[in-house]
Amino acid sequence: MVESIHGSLAVLGIGLAVLGAGYGVGTIGAAALHGIARQPEAYNKIQTVMLIMATLVEGVALFGIVMCVIFVKS
Amino acid sequence: MSTSFDLEKYILAHAQDSQEWHLPFFNPIQLPAFLSLHGAMLILGAFILIVVFCFLYNKKQRVPRRFTNLLEVLIIYIRDEIAVKNLGEEDGRRMTPYFCTLFFFILTLNLLGVIPLFPTATANPNVTAALAFLTWCFMVLGSLYKNGLKGFRDALIPSGVPIPVLFVLVPIEIFGIFVKSCALMIRLFANMLAGHMVILCMIGLVILMGWVALPSMLVAVGISLMELFVAFLQAYIFTLLSAVFIGQMYHPNH
Repeated sequence: MVESIHGSLAVLGIGLAVLGAGYGVGTIGAAALHGIARQPEAYNKIQTVMLIMATLVEGVALFGIVMCVIFVKS
Repeated sequence: MSTSFDLEKYILAHAQDSQEWHLPFFNPIQLPAFLSLHGAMLILGAFILIVVFCFLYNKKQRVPRRFTNLLEVLIIYIRDEIAVKNLGEEDGRRMTPYFCTLFFFILTLNLLGVIPLFPTATANPNVTAALAFLTWCFMVLGSLYKNGLKGFRDALIPSGVPIPVLFVLVPIEIFGIFVKSCALMIRLFANMLAGHMVILCMIGLVILMGWVALPSMLVAVGISLMELFVAFLQAYIFTLLSAVFIGQMYHPNH
């Protein structure tokens, strides 16, 4: 099965980028849950901010994935 | 099942630009030489926007109802929460048409891509680069025009900064303008492309492994729903960040 991953170490970069994305979005979710637990009336505001932050963090992770996919192909 | 199925070629054929449009039960539609598939999607998106906003948007109603009301809700949200909040009263109102165009154009292109047989124009980095270039033009040329050369320098470099820090700060700020625009481009492009590639991989799984992989179509349906959500969210984020960056250059409050 090792022969099927060949030619480029860039595929490791894709996995690391996904790792960073998972940790980042998880932290954002945890902070949002803490905020909602403290003050349930602020649910809408916290949800809006959480979604915007998650999009920005995922943007960074997708940079990494796009760069790695380019290096895998070439 | 099919012995000579090349997954990479399948995904590339569906995600990349080409001169033909493959529909089932028809011959591939050959597009003229000056137009490619994603270019045709751009023109279709612009046509839909013109039809919706010129003909379906009823200006004669004093109190907007139904479809006009739906569009009004979005436009007023863009004006109040995105443009005026980041650019101030008068600049915000003047720049609202640009942000409305950006939002509705990107939204239309994203939603056209969710329809099964249509390609996604925003999954092409050239399209998103053009949109990010527009924002870059507003950031650099617009602020040069508005504030002059001195004002542009004041936007990048706050006053009262010791000289050694300037050596580090100036390159970072100049580099930052380009990085912000590139970030806008790559965020939109990568989000749209990733959604489509996952769905294509799920379908490719079924072709490679046969009927045992059919439950992966449920995953494909779930990812399609998430793609719908991401379409709206990415259009909103592009517009919001454009407004934030342009506001930082027009009204620096260092």
